[in-house]
Amino acid sequence: MSDSAITIDSLEKSFPPARSGWRAFLQPFAAPTSPALRGISLQVKPGEAVALLGTNGAGKTTLLRILATLLLPTRGTAVVAGFDSVRESAAVRRHLGYHAGSDLGFFSRLTGGENLRFFGRLNHLSASFLRSRIPALAERFELAGALDRQVRTLSSGTIQRLSLVRALLHQPKVLLLDEPTRSLDALAAADFRRFLKSEVLTRQGTSLLFASHTLTEIEFLADRVAILKEGNLIALDTPYALKSKFGAASLEEAFSRLTGHSAHSLEESSSS
Amino acid sequence: MIRVLRDCLLFFQRDLRIASTYRSPLVLELIEALFGAALFYYVARFVDSPQLRQALPQGNSYFAYSLVGFVFFDYLLAALESFDHTLTEARDTGTLEPLLVTQVSLPVMLVGSAFYPFVVTTLRIAVYLGWGGALFGFPLRSANWLTVLVVLVATLLAFSGLGIFSSAYLLLFKRGNPAKWFFLGVSSVAGGMLFPVSILPAWLQVVAHLNPVTYALDAMRAALLDGASLSAIAYPLLILLLFAAILLPTSMLAFAWALRRTKVTGTLSHR
Repeated sequence: MSDSAITIDSLEKSFPPARSGWRAFLQPFAAPTSPALRGISLQVKPGEAVALLGTNGAGKTTLLRILATLLLPTRGTAVVAGFDSVRESAAVRRHLGYHAGSDLGFFSRLTGGENLRFFGRLNHLSASFLRSRIPALAERFELAGALDRQVRTLSSGTIQRLSLVRALLHQPKVLLLDEPTRSLDALAAADFRRFLKSEVLTRQGTSLLFASHTLTEIEFLADRVAILKEGNLIALDTPYALKSKFGAASLEEAFSRLTGHSAHSLEESSSS
Repeated sequence: MIRVLRDCLLFFQRDLRIASTYRSPLVLELIEALFGAALFYYVARFVDSPQLRQALPQGNSYFAYSLVGFVFFDYLLAALESFDHTLTEARDTGTLEPLLVTQVSLPVMLVGSAFYPFVVTTLRIAVYLGWGGALFGFPLRSANWLTVLVVLVATLLAFSGLGIFSSAYLLLFKRGNPAKWFFLGVSSVAGGMLFPVSILPAWLQVVAHLNPVTYALDAMRAALLDGASLSAIAYPLLILLLFAAILLPTSMLAFAWALRRTKVTGTLSHR
């Protein structure tokens, strides 16, 4: 068993080229020739928070989805909480909390509470545990009112908070978050970051790998930043070391110098 | 095994809860079943004749014969459609990926989500037959309900394999349910839904005898209309179980392969 919470070794992922018309029928059998990840290696230590930073198409979401067992790598390995993401995917999922950054993913006719109970039970949490866990997390995320309302009546920010609660329900050892505060207002986002830092990372010792375009969020949460460009890992260091290395006053400037992309690229990624 | 059953029950409870948030469909379905039963009754009255009765295997009224064929097709439809429907709905509502990162595997999710439609279809069939018995003289008293139940389960097992094959197709190609169109299309002619296969030309009779629907309908009519015992329907029942024994494991393998393939191509949640 590895000492790391996540160990990624020479990970490559390619997709078959998109096809249209009658050729779309051949796509499921086509060879994967469009690379999305090109030999990524990195480790996340227990209790550590690592941010994935890069423009759209850099490979952040692909990497998170491989770790979440939703994609198979083309080559290389990914080990989460000591389990191989391909051969031991069920064990990986037992120790994993995943938030896809979307405000979809709930049964709209069920209430927030019913949804959380359903997903909690699918993670084999007992009904009595959920009876105390859900209200506690809901209170922390100011979701108490949402528990009794059908999801279709909730705002996208509220649904996103509900999704974050779902990812935390089973107290996972490893948390994967894809743009966790994308739909949250500034206050809710700041509150969530504080909660992640104080409760999830510091108190529970959960490891966090997250993708974000919000540099203040990365500076606040991340112990290290992994910068991806066109599927390659081009830098992995602490925010301070990255700034020092490139003589930059801010992480934004360091990113800009390293990738050749302006800060606008990230803002555009964030808004897209 | 107990855990799998418990997981399946969770999906059933979820679907029941979602259905309870809609108020009117139950009443509408009761009315629809009444009109459906009435339709078959009056068509049967129109075409019924001593010659027709003689041509029917159980010698029953054409109304009873056609109503059984019709409600049985409802069941066949549920077996062929419910897996696809589950997958499509999960994909379209964005719940597929959150479900897939839980401890429950996709096959369990599909089977669990099929429980509710099967129960609802069974109830709908009961309502159809109930209206038929109460208002139009359907011979409910002659049924052997134990045999009916066994035939229903065997039918579900046999045709669920086709439904799972269809889901594998849907995973890969995103649209279409070839099993449904092929089986319903072929079976509506060469399956004995509304007329006995004995009136078909010889080559279509061969097709009918290769079709599991024919055996399922024969067994169902014998159980419902003649009160046949299990031993009396042993032959069609064995054929159905043979279909199930072949189709269920092969369809699960096909589904597992398709799921793996979508994780390679990255098209798992694509529409």
